[in-house]
Amino acid sequence: MFTAALTSGLVLGGMYALIAMGLTLQYGVARIMNLAHGELMIAAAFAALWLFTSAAVNPLLGLLIIVPAAFAISGTIYRLLLTPLVRRAPNRDALEVDSILATFGMLFVIQGIMLVMFGGAYFSYSFLAFPVTIAGATVAANRLLALAFAAVIGLALYLYLTRTRLGTAVRAVAVDPQSAPLVAIDVRATAALAFAFGGALVAAAGVLVSMFLTFNANIGVVFTMKALIVVIMGGVGNLLGCLVAGLILGLAETFVATFVDPGLTLATTYALFLIILLVRPQGLFGTASR
Amino acid sequence: MLEVSNISVAYGKHLAVDSIGLRVAPGEIALILGANGSGKTSLLKAIAGMQPATGASVRLAGRELAGLPAHTIVEAGLALVPEGRGVFGELTVRENLELGAFAKRARPAEAKNLRHVLELFPRLGERLAQQVRTMSGGEQQMVAVGRALMSAPEILLLDEPSLGLSPLMCKELFAALARIRDKGLGILLVEQNAKRSLAIADRGYLIANGRIVGDGSAASLRDDPAVQRAYLGAAEPGRAMPPPDGA
Ligand SMILES: Nc1ncnc2c1ncn2[C@@H]1O[C@H](COP(=O)(O)OP(=O)(O)OP(=O)(O)O)[C@@H](O)[C@H]1O
Ligand SMILES: [Mg+2]
Repeated sequence: MFTAALTSGLVLGGMYALIAMGLTLQYGVARIMNLAHGELMIAAAFAALWLFTSAAVNPLLGLLIIVPAAFAISGTIYRLLLTPLVRRAPNRDALEVDSILATFGMLFVIQGIMLVMFGGAYFSYSFLAFPVTIAGATVAANRLLALAFAAVIGLALYLYLTRTRLGTAVRAVAVDPQSAPLVAIDVRATAALAFAFGGALVAAAGVLVSMFLTFNANIGVVFTMKALIVVIMGGVGNLLGCLVAGLILGLAETFVATFVDPGLTLATTYALFLIILLVRPQGLFGTASR
Repeated sequence: MLEVSNISVAYGKHLAVDSIGLRVAPGEIALILGANGSGKTSLLKAIAGMQPATGASVRLAGRELAGLPAHTIVEAGLALVPEGRGVFGELTVRENLELGAFAKRARPAEAKNLRHVLELFPRLGERLAQQVRTMSGGEQQMVAVGRALMSAPEILLLDEPSLGLSPLMCKELFAALARIRDKGLGILLVEQNAKRSLAIADRGYLIANGRIVGDGSAASLRDDPAVQRAYLGAAEPGRAMPPPDGA
């Protein structure tokens, strides 16, 4: 039972980490606190469901369609809806407040569209649901696959941001947007790129989650909340912090649900969050740029 | 050749830069001397596109740059080392220099420019993996100048690079600026350290209340009694004159 909880916890934590990385990229670089983040994730989950059930496209192929689409859609949202806010904001703090209001509205629009299309019922589909035995515990193959994909995507993002010049430019905008133009960085274009990347990440998480969790049109906000907690726990703008905090949260929730009481998972989440806020308000690793 | 004419900067009603014109030729250091608050920083920021200006013409090699966003101006060959350096403190020296060459114009000669910068500031070569935030002020200033040079500029603008540097560091930095000039770059230098900067400059402008109130060769400025009084701390015969604030 311990190993089973451990693997489930890692899988869940990996998903949290991926979702939070998307949010921290959008917030850290573009200064958009995107409250509709979880909605995009659930939209991606529905897209994967639809592709699988009506077009027999398996979700891993679905990633190849849905992730680029989410990148394009997020980029468009930034250009059409958020650029006017960016232009108008006298400083980045004002932009933060405006973006919270705007994306809060967006949350209900996307959720409303999904409710009209799918209603409030829970959905799931069965893809690679056969059990696999590792270290004495049985886990569904789709969960292991989701964890592997999350690890690969997270690692690729980390390498991109730390090992390439464009990635370094993205970090430069995160740490010092005033100075970035001095080295020919177009801050607005970089922010749009980071926002689009954040959307692509959360859509990838949505597709992966849809392989093993049941979901409905209302559930996005739960993931936004958890992503926020992970981002703050790990330190704003800190990708490695997201990874560690995401895994901690996933493991804590699963262990409490398995060994104490499933009803206490949400309480665990907030207890962890409170402890970190009290003990290390800057997050586990501070707001470093890596 | 950088040719600026009729550039003005206003903060609300306050005119910080009032129709200034100046030019910087390749291979020369043009110096701007002025008291605190006379508009030097505003002027450099306006030329570099970091601050909105009105009525200006800023021509670099015949191309009009006024009104372009700052990142495009770097791409055109004009780099600013701002007041307070503007380095990316969270990133390493190597990453800062790498970002210096973010401009497309800088890519072809990147390796050569990096060699040049490390030759100019050998200390940076030993510290490539250090986070810039943890370096001394003088070392950070070297990163700032090195980063600007990595963008392969034709014209380099520097806003009080010697601020907060020890005399030794200051000497080292000014020697480096002279070598950069000798490679053919045009430098527009804003300084409070009039003595040292007049020693390496070719020409200079005096600025007060946002206007140019005098200009001439570095030698003629050095010998100008008004300059000596205001910036070099010389006393007028007969009565002692304190230098104006901060000079
Ligand atoms: N952002 C701003 N808003 C309002 N006024 C400003 C702003 N920046 C500068 N000023 C004013 O414009 C004038 C010129 O300032 P500026 O910084 O250009 O002077 P400076 O010559 O660089 O001074 P210093 O030698 O102290 O660096 C000052 O009176 C200053 O108070
Ligand atoms: Mg100044």
